[in-house]
Amino acid sequence: MKFILVDQLLSLEVGKRIVMAKNVTMAEEYLADHFPGFPVLPGVMMLEAAVQTAAWLVRQTNDFGQSLIVLKEARGVRYGTFVAPGQTLTITADAVEISAGRSDFKVKGTVGPGGATAITARLELAHLNLADTDKGFARSDAVAIAAQRERWQVFSQQTGAPALA
Amino acid sequence: MRWIWIDKFEKFEVNVAAVAVKNVSLAEEHLHDHVPGFPVMPASLMIEGMAQTAGILVGAARNFQEKVILAKIGRARFSRLVRPGEQLVYSAKIVNVSEAGASIEGEITSRTSVGGKPVELEVGAIDMMFSHIDKNMSGMKFPEFNFVFNSQFMELFETYRRELNVELPEKP
Amino acid sequence: MAMTQEEVFSKVKDVLTTALAVDDDEVTPEARLSEDLGAESIDYLDISFQLEKAFAIKIPKGELFPENVFTNPEFVQNGKMTAKGLAEVKSRMPFADLSKFEQDPDINKFRDIFTVDTLVKYVMTKVNG
Repeated sequence: MKFILVDQLLSLEVGKRIVMAKNVTMAEEYLADHFPGFPVLPGVMMLEAAVQTAAWLVRQTNDFGQSLIVLKEARGVRYGTFVAPGQTLTITADAVEISAGRSDFKVKGTVGPGGATAITARLELAHLNLADTDKGFARSDAVAIAAQRERWQVFSQQTGAPALA
Repeated sequence: MRWIWIDKFEKFEVNVAAVAVKNVSLAEEHLHDHVPGFPVMPASLMIEGMAQTAGILVGAARNFQEKVILAKIGRARFSRLVRPGEQLVYSAKIVNVSEAGASIEGEITSRTSVGGKPVELEVGAIDMMFSHIDKNMSGMKFPEFNFVFNSQFMELFETYRRELNVELPEKP
Repeated sequence: MAMTQEEVFSKVKDVLTTALAVDDDEVTPEARLSEDLGAESIDYLDISFQLEKAFAIKIPKGELFPENVFTNPEFVQNGKMTAKGLAEVKSRMPFADLSKFEQDPDINKFRDIFTVDTLVKYVMTKVNG
């Protein structure tokens, strides 16, 4: 599978807050294992959706300055309601701090019109370039950043999808 | 992709602790787009590896009669990136188990090599909690059958149960 | 050796900052676990476990956070706790201050009686006998 756990950008305030959506669908193979007869989005995939959402805010805030944005620490990750196929998990990530090398977030994931809470957490992300430790990796940094810029275009152009008149 | 994030049990002591390993391989698709051009194991899937190791340990404490669900991650912290070719080692220890759920302390290390010499390096530490959902989420309806301990987890456990001489307690 | 209220409070505070991922200064004696500190149901189990460890005490099921009170129609009617229910809760939880809840025994507000101070008082009864 593609390890992409967000589908749509709902709102963005650079440096402050981002809201993204993850659609859960039966077409995702791993749901057959989690669980047979009771398909629900695994808790760690909700967490991954939150990490990816927060990482997009970091890239926007730091203008794609670092190729790797990864989870360094998660605290107080609490799960509420399950998220089933056909439902959408909406992740809101509020930045507590974003600097060049690290960031802190409060994140929350909700489901449905009533906004039932599916996950809440505090996240610390680490931002780095591979070339910082080994100059030989400068090309990998460039490849990763180019791929991320391209993916971001997909999110930011969604509202402008052409009509089929 | 399938949803099984451990490959083998190395130790299993009912009510106490378990150790499972997971090989990280370039054959796994998800590695290729987590960071394009630089495959690393996502932290969230390492948390899942620990949750599966610990979840089976918690399940065994009550002979798999409870539906054991990851309910909380108190803290998960990571100190290094894990790359293909490495072998993750998940060591889970039961801190407390009650009728309602259980708490776990886990450590993750990685077996790899540095300068041609085999080493085991620290990767992270995780505190997590499991809920026995039939006892907690009253009002919510779940299937009668135990969907958590489905065939794939039980097959994995059974494979190593004899080898590791695991005696399950009586069904509560 | 007997512990003072300050000693108990300081340890309870450590438990809550870890269990609920809140800051030190948020944990005041009056703070309500659910409403002010964001505790969810799994956190109550976590807090029980962590208090047992921190104070080397045993917390029997239902002693700190009562169970089977809300599902009993004798104790709860139309979303309000009955006089019988209140008496039951009082006898089970002598360490809790129920005076506010008694004025409006709406069961949705029951969780408000669990303040940091309630935990401190409960632990005091356990460690000092």
